[in-house]
Amino acid sequence: MRKWTGIFAALMALMFAVSTAQAGKLEDIKAKGKLVAGIKDSQQPFGFVDEKTKDIVGFEIDIVKYIADQMGVKLELKPVTSATRIPLLTQGEVDIVAATMTHQKQRESQVDFSITYFMTGQRLLVKKGGDIKSAKDLAGKKVGSAKGSTSEQNMKKAEPDCTVVSFETYPEAFLALKQGKVEAVTTDEAILVGIKYSDDNPDNWDIVGDYISAEPYGLGVVQNDSKFRNYVNQTLMKMWETGEYQKVYAKWFGKDTKNYIPLTWKMELWP
Amino acid sequence: MAYTFDWKLVLGGEYGGWIVQGLATTLKISALAIFCSLALGTLIAVLRLTRMRPLVWFSVAFTEFFRNTPLLVQIFFWYFGSYSVLPEVVNKWLYRQDFEFAAGVIALTVYTAAFIAEDIRSGIFAIPKTQIEASRATGLSFLQSMRFVILPQAFRIIIPPLISQFLNVVKNSSLVMTIGVMDLTYMTRQIESYTFHGFEAFTVATLIYLAISLVVSFTVNIYNKRVLKLIPY
Repeated sequence: MRKWTGIFAALMALMFAVSTAQAGKLEDIKAKGKLVAGIKDSQQPFGFVDEKTKDIVGFEIDIVKYIADQMGVKLELKPVTSATRIPLLTQGEVDIVAATMTHQKQRESQVDFSITYFMTGQRLLVKKGGDIKSAKDLAGKKVGSAKGSTSEQNMKKAEPDCTVVSFETYPEAFLALKQGKVEAVTTDEAILVGIKYSDDNPDNWDIVGDYISAEPYGLGVVQNDSKFRNYVNQTLMKMWETGEYQKVYAKWFGKDTKNYIPLTWKMELWP
Repeated sequence: MAYTFDWKLVLGGEYGGWIVQGLATTLKISALAIFCSLALGTLIAVLRLTRMRPLVWFSVAFTEFFRNTPLLVQIFFWYFGSYSVLPEVVNKWLYRQDFEFAAGVIALTVYTAAFIAEDIRSGIFAIPKTQIEASRATGLSFLQSMRFVILPQAFRIIIPPLISQFLNVVKNSSLVMTIGVMDLTYMTRQIESYTFHGFEAFTVATLIYLAISLVVSFTVNIYNKRVLKLIPY
């Protein structure tokens, strides 16, 4: 028994030793000359593979690109999933995470968040002309969502008498909606818009209801490194103030795009 | 900068409750699948030994098909594929029930039954052929000689491989979370996404799977050693 405790303790010690080796992130990034960003590679329009160029592009890619440019370093993209993004960040494999991550109090014990760089809210995607108009109409019915999101509990709060079925990814949740297995798909509006327009006939689907929850997206950075976090925050504000943010926003969510969402919120700007 | 561990988070309170709920679902789905696959597996094994061609072919096709395709694909097949096969009315009725759970049980049952059928068949082959000849000579029918003479002996022989199959069911059951069944692994993933404390949650889940497996295998081994030797062949 003692032998095993010893081995376990040694493993733990090794893990700590590896992860505490680096000092200030900002100096670290400048020294190695590149910013490693954890991003999504299959989430239109935040981060996805462009069909023609085969490069990863998207709104979040442009955000981290701006930060890298401001630092004067190269940008390296590393696709992450909701299961890998936190370990990769805490172990220092990635310097920053821009992966449709909602800033939640519960999540703060593990990483630090930047100020909000994108604001959305949870709504419902339903078949057009159906009975579902709001969360209340889903009493006694099934709602689809995807794992790694926090949509499930929010939905339960909005309508306790519904069953949430969480699929591996959103395309599966959407397939379940098409087959009538669930009556609605619920998640952040910005993602729902992407799902809706992924269909051959987007007009068959409607995004309905009030916002069930607010979903402010924050960039994830390592815990307790205020110098780096301040830098990221100030760069985001600079991006907004110089109008660069609005340009990037228009590129991905503007009127001419298929993901049209009006820019109705304002970034928190410190004087 | 290091990952901070917070074991209390997953051992009690709301998240501890999620793990308990997930564990209950895992045990329920595993128990159902073990029970059904044992019955179905026995049937498939016996069909193979009848001398009726269509039944033998069916048994061979069943075993080879379900044994040699990935379980994950089968789970998706039962859950999403059933839509195009079944009539609209049946689908509508099914979706109002807990269809996710049902599809999970069916997939696990069918997959495991294919393996169990092979185990049982090898157990039956281990019984000398003269026994079935003798029992048929005493006037028992094929099914009767299977039921009273061959199977009771075969099952004793195949207990070790059967335990492995049961343990596989418990572990394979973690795949049903892909169709939204809230089992232990699913709950672990949820805790991960709500708190970012995935390491603790996965450690606890791993230990629980290990504990279930050890309990099952010890129990059956004890049964094997203590009880079985009291029953005369």
